[in-house]
Amino acid sequence: MARAKKSNREATLDNLRNEALKIRRNVWRALRAAGSGHMGGSLSAAEFLAALYFHHLKIRPDEPDWPDRDRFILSKGHANAALGAVLAQAGFIEDAVLDQFYAYESLFGMHPDIKMAGVEMSTGGLGHGLSIGLGMALGARLQKKKFRTIVMIGDGELQEGSNWEAAMAAAHQKASNLTAILDYNKVQQSGHVSDMLALEPMASKWSAFGWAVREVDGHDMDQVVGALDALPYEKDKPSMIIAHTVKGKGVSFSEDTHLWHNNMVPDDVYEKALAELGEPV
Amino acid sequence: MSAASTTPAWVEKVQNQSRLSFGLAVTDMAARDDKVVAVSADTLDLIGLREMVAAAPDRVIEAGIAEQNAMGVASGMATTGMRPYLCGYAPFITARSMEQLRNDVAYAKQRVVIGAACSGIVLGVSGGTHHALEDIALMRSLPNMTVLVPADAHEAWHLTQATENLDGPSYIRLGGKMDEPPVTAVDASPVIGKATTLRRGTDIAVIACGVLVVEALAAADELAGEGIGVRVINMHTIKPLDRDTVLAAAAETRGIVTAEEHHLTGGLGGAVAELVAEEHPTRMRFVGMPDEFAIVGPTPKVRERYGMSAANIMAKCRELMS
Repeated sequence: MARAKKSNREATLDNLRNEALKIRRNVWRALRAAGSGHMGGSLSAAEFLAALYFHHLKIRPDEPDWPDRDRFILSKGHANAALGAVLAQAGFIEDAVLDQFYAYESLFGMHPDIKMAGVEMSTGGLGHGLSIGLGMALGARLQKKKFRTIVMIGDGELQEGSNWEAAMAAAHQKASNLTAILDYNKVQQSGHVSDMLALEPMASKWSAFGWAVREVDGHDMDQVVGALDALPYEKDKPSMIIAHTVKGKGVSFSEDTHLWHNNMVPDDVYEKALAELGEPV
Repeated sequence: MSAASTTPAWVEKVQNQSRLSFGLAVTDMAARDDKVVAVSADTLDLIGLREMVAAAPDRVIEAGIAEQNAMGVASGMATTGMRPYLCGYAPFITARSMEQLRNDVAYAKQRVVIGAACSGIVLGVSGGTHHALEDIALMRSLPNMTVLVPADAHEAWHLTQATENLDGPSYIRLGGKMDEPPVTAVDASPVIGKATTLRRGTDIAVIACGVLVVEALAAADELAGEGIGVRVINMHTIKPLDRDTVLAAAAETRGIVTAEEHHLTGGLGGAVAELVAEEHPTRMRFVGMPDEFAIVGPTPKVRERYGMSAANIMAKCRELMS
């Protein structure tokens, strides 16, 4: 019995790993279609996006505005290639939309647009998502709805002071139906976060702001799923998952460097990236 | 039945102060609509929300002195079907949280109603950090935004109620802790986007908003004694601008004077000029704050110093008559 359960979980994890690989391949595909784009922060978020859309979130891809759906906000909106990828894989949008990244009149631009199916809020200006997510969480509470709100934020983004207003407010409101996932890839546009405007100590800072904090390896699907399954972490507190990740994860030349925060993607780069990523099942 | 007994209870409570009209109107709406929620940036008393705190405490979200977060929270709540009314100080709820206002509210087209107290130079002695003389320009430059400037507490009550029928964001410019002489009737029913004409002269048209409407009326009454017929238009909606009323004024009078407690850059005067320049060019004069930061001082004296007065409106009308 325990053996069967374990193998079910392994099958789930393998499936999610495969979806994460597809996200990475689709990110490079969208970037090649656009000619360039934000690969670094898109690739670091792949495991969590796969686990959210194929395991955790209560959503209906054929009914994107279902009132009781869980809400997900990509506050680090420049990783929209990865959001588009997972929305296509989950069936919110047509797969062909991924080839319309940055295209004239496309709803799939550099940053998320609320007009596209599955997108809960237009983001891209940094430091906005957590406040909006808190508003959604309070809206759920006031209407006695069970849906949960999850906001993915970036580390460089945390240099915007508005996040800390939201952090204080969410704790004050005891918004235990709100979760933040920090895609902590340690690199921002101009260099390593620690060299630009340091954010450490990260975990104790969030704890001090009144959040229940967990740290995980954001590329270890077992830990990713475990962190999501255990939500919420404490009664009357918002939850923070600090996901230690690698910017540009999965392709040797794009990992851990600001040079691939936002870069050109000619065909040869695309071919090389996909060859390194390998084929999904 | 005497007139007094039919006067609604809110009239006395608002004490001729539009800021209180906003909070009390929200409280009134909240009693009949459980989706109405107030978000306050440390303005519970300033905006008249104490009654709502007592009646519906769950639906008053005190966000603290943190306008950026308050704006985002209001937007997020609106996406879930709540009807948020966001209360703040005009100088801070616009400029401090402008990016949230633009992205989360206007760009995402969320139905957030912003009540902005202490606009213009209501906080005269506080100095330039606390004056809001650019808020109309900021708000009307945003697509999707409705911009309202009530002339008094009565109109503020009715316009706040009228936002129930809007499906996009709106901004209501309010006064502070000082008397705003009534110029509209208690039972007036202002329609968003439709100006009201308070005097029907045909020599000069004065298009005014907010606290300058009472000055425009005083100017018109004085000029009537000189045989000059002034049309006084209360432009309580800056956006969408009432094109028909403005263009009729351009066509039927010798010129238009605009009057507002706002910088001459980008406010009501700019909005009217943009329209008539293209559709019906006419001579214009502008009453408002020149392109400088105001001095410190009691509000009436500061207003007078910069010409936001009946006397200056009369002077501008006479210029257009000559």
